[in-house]
Amino acid sequence: MKTRKMTKTMLTGIALAGALAATAMTASAADLKIGVLVADVSGEEAQGFRSYYENYIAENYDVEFVYTDALEDAAGEKAAIEKFASQGCQAIISLSSSDRATQIDTCDEYGVYYAIASGVLDDELFETYKGYEYFAGQVGPGNATEFEAGKAMGEYFKAQGVTSVAMYGAFIPNPMHVFRAAGVIAGLGDTYGGTNDMYEMIGQIFADQKIDPAKVEGDVALTAYLQGYGDTTTDEINAAIQKEPEAFLSVGMATTFFTQMLNEAGIPFADIDSFTQANGTAIKEGQLVYLAGKYSSSIGPVFALIKNAVDGNPIRDEEGNAPSFSQGYLVATDGESFDEYYVADNGDAPIYDKETLDSIIGADVTYEDFKALVESK
Amino acid sequence: MNSPILQLKEISKQFGTVIALDHVSLDVFPGEIRGLIGENGSGKSTISSIAAGMQKATSGQMFFRDEPWNPSSMIEALEGGIGMIVQESGTIPGISVAENIFLGELDTFRGRLGMIDRKEMNRQADEAMRGIGVDHVKGSMPLASLDFQTRKLVEIAKVNRKHPDILVIDETSTALSHDGREIMYRLIRRYRDEGKAVIFISHDLDEIMEVCDTLTVLRDGELIRTFTKDEFDPDAIRTSMIGRELKGDYYRSDMQPSRMQEVALSGEHLYLGEELQDVSISLHKGEIVGIGGLSSCGMHTLGKVLFGAAKPEQGTVKTADGREIKNEQTAMAEGIGYVSKDRDVESLCLSASVRDNIAIAGMDKYALGGFLITNFKEKAYVAQQVEALSIKCAGQEQLTGQLSGGNKQKVVFGKWIGCGSSILILDCPTRGVDIGVKQAMYQLMTELKQQGKAILLISEEMPELIGMSDRVLVMKDGKITKELERSPQLTDAVIIRYMI
Amino acid sequence: METGTLKKKSGGTAGRHLVDLLPFLALAVLFALFCAIVKGKGYRLDIYLKTIFNQGVVLAVVATGAIFIYTLGSFDISLGASTLFAATMGVLTYNATESLPLMLLAIFGTAIACSLFSSALASAFHIPAFVTTVAMLSVLSAVSAQIITTRGGSLGGIGIPKPVVKPLDNPPFKIALLAAFFLLCFFVFQLTKAGRRQKFIGGNLVCARLTGISYNKYAILAFTMAGIGVGLGAFLTLVYTPSVTATTASGIGMSIFVAIVFGGMPISGGARSRIHAALVGGFSYILLNNILELVLEGGSAYGLTQIVSAVFFLAVVYVTSMNYRTALLPR
Repeated sequence: MKTRKMTKTMLTGIALAGALAATAMTASAADLKIGVLVADVSGEEAQGFRSYYENYIAENYDVEFVYTDALEDAAGEKAAIEKFASQGCQAIISLSSSDRATQIDTCDEYGVYYAIASGVLDDELFETYKGYEYFAGQVGPGNATEFEAGKAMGEYFKAQGVTSVAMYGAFIPNPMHVFRAAGVIAGLGDTYGGTNDMYEMIGQIFADQKIDPAKVEGDVALTAYLQGYGDTTTDEINAAIQKEPEAFLSVGMATTFFTQMLNEAGIPFADIDSFTQANGTAIKEGQLVYLAGKYSSSIGPVFALIKNAVDGNPIRDEEGNAPSFSQGYLVATDGESFDEYYVADNGDAPIYDKETLDSIIGADVTYEDFKALVESK
Repeated sequence: MNSPILQLKEISKQFGTVIALDHVSLDVFPGEIRGLIGENGSGKSTISSIAAGMQKATSGQMFFRDEPWNPSSMIEALEGGIGMIVQESGTIPGISVAENIFLGELDTFRGRLGMIDRKEMNRQADEAMRGIGVDHVKGSMPLASLDFQTRKLVEIAKVNRKHPDILVIDETSTALSHDGREIMYRLIRRYRDEGKAVIFISHDLDEIMEVCDTLTVLRDGELIRTFTKDEFDPDAIRTSMIGRELKGDYYRSDMQPSRMQEVALSGEHLYLGEELQDVSISLHKGEIVGIGGLSSCGMHTLGKVLFGAAKPEQGTVKTADGREIKNEQTAMAEGIGYVSKDRDVESLCLSASVRDNIAIAGMDKYALGGFLITNFKEKAYVAQQVEALSIKCAGQEQLTGQLSGGNKQKVVFGKWIGCGSSILILDCPTRGVDIGVKQAMYQLMTELKQQGKAILLISEEMPELIGMSDRVLVMKDGKITKELERSPQLTDAVIIRYMI
Repeated sequence: METGTLKKKSGGTAGRHLVDLLPFLALAVLFALFCAIVKGKGYRLDIYLKTIFNQGVVLAVVATGAIFIYTLGSFDISLGASTLFAATMGVLTYNATESLPLMLLAIFGTAIACSLFSSALASAFHIPAFVTTVAMLSVLSAVSAQIITTRGGSLGGIGIPKPVVKPLDNPPFKIALLAAFFLLCFFVFQLTKAGRRQKFIGGNLVCARLTGISYNKYAILAFTMAGIGVGLGAFLTLVYTPSVTATTASGIGMSIFVAIVFGGMPISGGARSRIHAALVGGFSYILLNNILELVLEGGSAYGLTQIVSAVFFLAVVYVTSMNYRTALLPR
C-alpha cells in the first residue's frame, strides 16, 4: 500500500513536470536569436542591460534574447554556449568572463557569432582570437580604460585638495577592480611599491591579492583599506570611518554596501558603477560626490556588431580582424550631471536608440562608422 | 467484580501485510495487576502500546473509564491517565535527568525573562525520583552518566509523577538488577493498593506469576487464554504461549562442573576506574563461567575489557598462547565473539539485512583469496546459520530491525558462531527473549561447551547462572567477591549473599 | 527462503525492491521527458545530449568516489574545492613540464593527498571527518584562488594549451573512463570484504567496532577512493575546458549530495548504500536541472530552477525514507 503511494507521489511529480514542459513548447518565431551569457544576474547594472535588450532592442528589431542563469565557471559557460547552439541561436553576447578563450573556441566550433559586452580580452588573447571568423568583436572599457577611470577619480579628489582617503578595493583580485584601484592610487599622485607605472602596479597588486596600505606612498595618505563583500567588512568600514578620512574612494559597489554608514558619518565618497536609481539617490541626497558609470544602453553597439555579422556584414578593422572598440565611463559629480545620463538613457529614448543604432547596422556600415559613433558616446 | 477501567474491543493492527494483532479484546479492572505474556512477536507490546498512545490500531475500539479512548501520542495518553515504560531505552542521553523527566514541560519552569528555573526543576526531579524510592539519582545529573538500569528508573519516575490510573510496564525487569526490581515491585503493589491498574509484560514466567493477579497469554497476535491467580500453572501457561509442550532440558542436565585443562582466555589484575578493581579471571576451554552481581558491579565492563572494547588502566588480557588482546581486532583474530547486553545498539545493525549481520563477522571463512565475496558462497554461509539456529525470517534479505527480539538475538549468535568463535563473551544473552528461544539458546550453549568452546556468561538472572555455569564468579563494587563451583546445592540466596 | 514457521510475511522486501528500482525509473522518465521537450521545441538533441553528458560525467565520477565516504555515514563538503585544487596543480605541473603524464600524476597525487589529509586529521584529532572537510573546503578554495589569481593575473584564470587535451574531449573516451572507474568502485564496494564492512560501519558504527572492524582503516580506503574520483573529475574538467578559475567546480560538493539522494541512497549511508546511486542520481540531477531550465526558459525568474529542484529533492528524500520508516516494526 505504502509502495503504491510512493510510486504515485513520484509519478505525480514527473507528470507535473511533464505538464509544465508541454506548456513551454513554443518555438521562437524571431529572425535573430541571441544567447546572452550572464555571470551576475541580480546587480542593477545587469538588470539594466537586460531591460534594454528585452524591452527596447527586442521591440525595435526582430530579435529574441535568451539568457543563462548565473554562470559560475568555464564549464558552465561552455555548456551554455552549446545549449544556445542547440537552440538555434545565431550569436552569443558575453557578459561572463570565466574563460573567454574557451567561449570563443566553442562558438567557433558551433559556427555561432560571438561578441563581448562586458570587460575585454587582454592584449595577448585578443591577438590570438581577433582573426577568428565567428569572433564579431568587443565593445567596452579595456583594462587601460579601467585604469584611466580610477586615475580620473584620484585626480578629481587630488584637485579638491584632499590629503587623506580610505579605499575600498571591491573584489580584488578581480582584474577590473585591480586596474581601477591602481588607477586611483596613480591619480592621487601616490605610488604603490615605489612605482606609478600601470603594469608594475597591477603586477604587485595581483601578487599581494589586495592593496597594502604600507606600500602606498605620496602626498595623499591612505588611512584605511578594505575589500570583499559588504557583510564581511562592516567592522572594517567602522574602523575606516574612525580614522576620519576626507574621502572614501571605491572602485565598485560602494553604494550597495556602504551608503548609509558613509552618509551618517558625513564622509564624501566616490564609486565606479552604473547610472542606476540607487546611485541617483546617493548623489542627490547623500554623500556620493563622484560617480564614474556605465549606462544601460551602452551595450547597444555590441548588438549592432552581432546583427551585422549575422546579416552577412561582419565588421572588420583595416586588417580584416575583429574590432575592439573602447568605451569610456561617463562621470557625474552632482544630481544634475547624473540626470543628464540617467534620465536620458531610460524609457523609450535610450542613448543608443533605434535611430542611432540604425546608423551602424546595415550592409554598407564600415569599421570607421562604428568607431566614430562608439568612441563619441 | 467491579466494572473495567480499560476496555479493548476487537483491536487489530497491521504493519503492511503483517498482522500483528488479530481482533484482540481485553478488559483491565481497577486494583488489578494484569500480566501479559507471550513469545516475541506475539503482540503483547503492540496491544499495550496502542492503549498507551504509541501507535494507532488498524481497527477496533477502546474505552477508558467508560469513555472512548483514542490518544494521539504517549504524552496525551499519560496526561489522560495511561502511562507506559517501554522495553528499550525511553530516555535521551544528551540532557540531564531533570530535563528527561520534564521533557515537553520545560516551559512550566520558565521565569518572567524566559529563563528556565533549573534549581526548581532539579528539585522537583529529585522529588520525582524519591517518589519511586530512589534517593541516589539527582535531577542535575547528566543522563549519559547513568547506567542502563538507572536510566530505566528515571523513566519509571517520569511516568509515575503523573500518577496514571493505569501503568504499563513493558519488559522492564530484565533491564533492572535485584534492587531495581524491588523498587518496581513496590511501585506496582502501591498502584494496586490505591485502586489503580498495572499491565505488566514480562518473559519471566516465575516473576510474572509472582507479581500478577491475572495473566493473559497472547500468541501470533491472538489472545489465547486468560489465567486467574488460582489457575496459574507454569506448564499450562508455557503450553499456551508456544502452542506446544516444551521438550528436553531447559538448563544443563548435568550438575557437575567440567572443563578442559587448557586456559582459553585470562585477565590478570585488571583495573578500570571504579568498575574493575584488581580483577583476575581465567576461562578454560569447554567451560561456562558465569558472572553475577548487581548491574553496576562492573561485570558488563569486564566483558568489554576481555573483548578489547575497553582498555584497562592496568592489567592485561591474554589468550592461551600468550597473545595480548589489545582491541576488538585482536580479539576477533583470536576467535573471540562478544554478544552485548545492548543488542540493538551494539550487536546488530538494524537497518541491515539478516544476511549482512550474520555475514559481517565471518567473511574470512568464505572470501576467495581472502577478499573477494561471492553471492553464492555468502548466501550458503548465512543459510547454514539461519537453519542451524532456526531463525524465523522471511528471507536473508529481511531487515534485522523487522525481527522479533528472540530472532534478533539468534542473528547475533549466528554471527559469532558462524565465524567459528572459540571464546564467547555473552552479556545478558537472553534479555528480552521468550521462553522458547531461551531454551534453544541454553541448549546451544551446552553444545558449544561440549565442542570445547569457552563461554563467559554475564547475567543478572540467578536461575540462568546457576543452571548453566560450571563456575559462578560473583562481583561487587568492581571486585570478584566469591567463586562458586557448580553444584546442586548452589542457590540464589548463596549468590545474593556475596553480591549485596 | 523461509525458515521456521513465520506465519506472517513482511511486505517490506518487495517494497524495498520497488524503491530500489525507482531511481532507474526516474532516470528513464526524466530522459524521455528531456528528449521530448528538446524535440518539441525543435532544438538539436544531439548537441544537448553531448552537453548533458559532459556536465554529468564530472559529477558522476566525483560522486561515485564520494559514495564510499557517504556510505560510512560521513560526507565530504570539500570535494569541489579538492577538484579545483587538483586541477590547479595539474595546470601548474603541465605548464612547468609540458608533460601530460606528470600532469596526471600531479592531479591524482593532489586529489588523493587532499582526501587522505582530511581523514588523517579527523583520525588524529578524533573529530568527525566532515568537520575536517569543512576546514579543507576553506583552505583549498583560498589556496587555489591565490594561485589562480596570482598566476592568472588579468586573465582571471590559468590554463593549459587547448591542443593538449582536445583529442580527449570526446564521448567515447569519457564513457570509457567513467565505465572503468565505475567498475573498479563496483568491484570494491560490492565484491570485497572492504566494501561490505564500509556499509556496516555506516549502518552502525558501534556494532561495527564491536565486530572488530576498524573505522580508521576503512575511512582511509573511502577517502582514497573519493580522492581517485576527485582526480578523475579534475582531469575531465580540464579536458572539457582547459582552464581553471577560482570558481571552477565550486558547486560540485552540494551537487554530489543531491545526486546521491536522487540515486536512491540514504543520506545516512549504511546498509542501503548503492554504488550506482551516484551514476543514476548524477545524471538524473543534471537532466532535471536541464528540463527545468528548458521549461522555465529565459530565466523568467532567476532561482526558480533551484527552488523547484529543492522541492523535488525533498520529495525524493521523503519517498525513499517512507518505506524504510514503516518497515521497522515495533515489537
